[in-house]
Amino acid sequence: MIQFFHVTKTYGRDLEALADINFRIQKGEFVFIAGPSGAGKTTLLRLIFRDELPTSGQILVNGRNVVRMPERAIPQLRRSIGVIFQDFKLLRDRSIAENLGLVYRVLGIPSAVGKRKVANLLRLVGLSHKVQLTPYKLSGGEQQRVAIARALMNDPLLLLADEPTGDLDADLAVEVMRLLSEINARGTTVVVATHDMGVVREMGRRTFVLKTGRVVEEIPEDSTTRWRPSPRPTVEDAII
Amino acid sequence: MDRLRYILEDALVNLRRSRWRALAAIGTIAVSFLIVGIFLIITRNLGALLSEWKEQFQITVFLEDGIPTEQLALLKKRIQSESAVKAMTYTSKEEALQNFRRELKGKESLLEGLGENPLPASFQIRVHESSQTPEDLGKLSAFLSRLEGVEDVMYGQEWVDRLAAAVRILRLLGLSVGLALSLASVLIVSNTIRLAVYARADEIEIMRLVGATKMHIRAPFLLEGMIQGGLGAGLALLLLYGAYRATMWQLQQAPGPMLGMEVGSFLDTHWIAAMLLAGAVVGAFGSLISVGRFLRA
Repeated sequence: MIQFFHVTKTYGRDLEALADINFRIQKGEFVFIAGPSGAGKTTLLRLIFRDELPTSGQILVNGRNVVRMPERAIPQLRRSIGVIFQDFKLLRDRSIAENLGLVYRVLGIPSAVGKRKVANLLRLVGLSHKVQLTPYKLSGGEQQRVAIARALMNDPLLLLADEPTGDLDADLAVEVMRLLSEINARGTTVVVATHDMGVVREMGRRTFVLKTGRVVEEIPEDSTTRWRPSPRPTVEDAII
Repeated sequence: MDRLRYILEDALVNLRRSRWRALAAIGTIAVSFLIVGIFLIITRNLGALLSEWKEQFQITVFLEDGIPTEQLALLKKRIQSESAVKAMTYTSKEEALQNFRRELKGKESLLEGLGENPLPASFQIRVHESSQTPEDLGKLSAFLSRLEGVEDVMYGQEWVDRLAAAVRILRLLGLSVGLALSLASVLIVSNTIRLAVYARADEIEIMRLVGATKMHIRAPFLLEGMIQGGLGAGLALLLLYGAYRATMWQLQQAPGPMLGMEVGSFLDTHWIAAMLLAGAVVGAFGSLISVGRFLRA
């Protein structure tokens, strides 16, 4: 699904965010990019959905080289990827329904279908009762769940999550990971960037550990500790 | 179809959200187009007046008294043979006096002291429009003056020339002012849309990140600019029409025709359509400048 070949990203003359990154993520995998703040995790994710271009190297996403991709093809690439941003990127003056509605408007989905999808996804993330509230009136965990729901609006082949448990307490972090695992169980490739090694260990998924822009360790999947989704695959309810 | 509906909805929602800014832009565009419209109406009516005057333009050839009939016939033939002459009429001394009496209606007593008829016989010559240039008229006048039996030649071309020059200057001025104001309108719309773009910067970023094309992002702003421009031009046309009706009413209250014109005319349908279209184009252009800059950044 994703392949990095000798990818380097430098800002300015000498600020090296990523250095000679090489890895391969298979379709349907759940992978962590772990490391401390400033390790280059966000940059790596941004390279995948072509929000950034590498200084050198090639990146394949779903068989397409995103580095050589013409600008006009970028929207199509992004429509196949769901992104959960670290800062959520929710519109503060719009309701939850309007925040999610923005996606179906961009995709040109008929409003009746789009509204049904919004309702199903909000049910999935447990926020059906807050559909008309603005993000101001939601807790950090609830905003995170809205961001997850929005990332799923386009039925993505690939879901990228940047610090999805960043500001959450342990219980909520587990809840978000449960949700992401369920999404992955449905067939969506999931890549999660996190600084929380506790979550990484608990989940037992394949992990690339980044430090100052380099992959310093690759932790293979641990089937004995691998966290499995609960037997209630609520994601299926959200499939239109 | 859904995409188009979303774009239209977004444009209208944007306008509603920034209604005061939009109203300011519409008002400014309206003032610009109002000034352009005033120039258009004035030059158009002066142009019509000029054409009318040109149509009615004639050279009067005053004849010496006591010309024999044969010489008069010969003179008439010589004048008619000139290519610049479109038509001519003859006014005898008696007819000239009768005309004068008619013009002095109510004051005929002024003529009582006159002994014999002092007014000369004359030819009124209509000249082809193509020959109504100062050079051609000068040549024709010189030719007529040299003819035997001609006492004097008179024509009011100087006035027509002055009016034509005034209309030319007004048109040029209108065009320059129009261009300057259109440019100002483009900048005003551009600034209004830029503020709207900045106000929606987060939304645009999210749209971009979830796969919106540049056109999809631009379209609502483009439409917003076109609506502002079109409404501004429409408002200007309404104000112009109101001012036109008020002026016409005033003119109709005044005794007698004004400058030979019974009533002035408003803009034609195609000029109205052109102004509305120009408003929309100005708005779209201003909008494209702002969004283009933002998307490149």
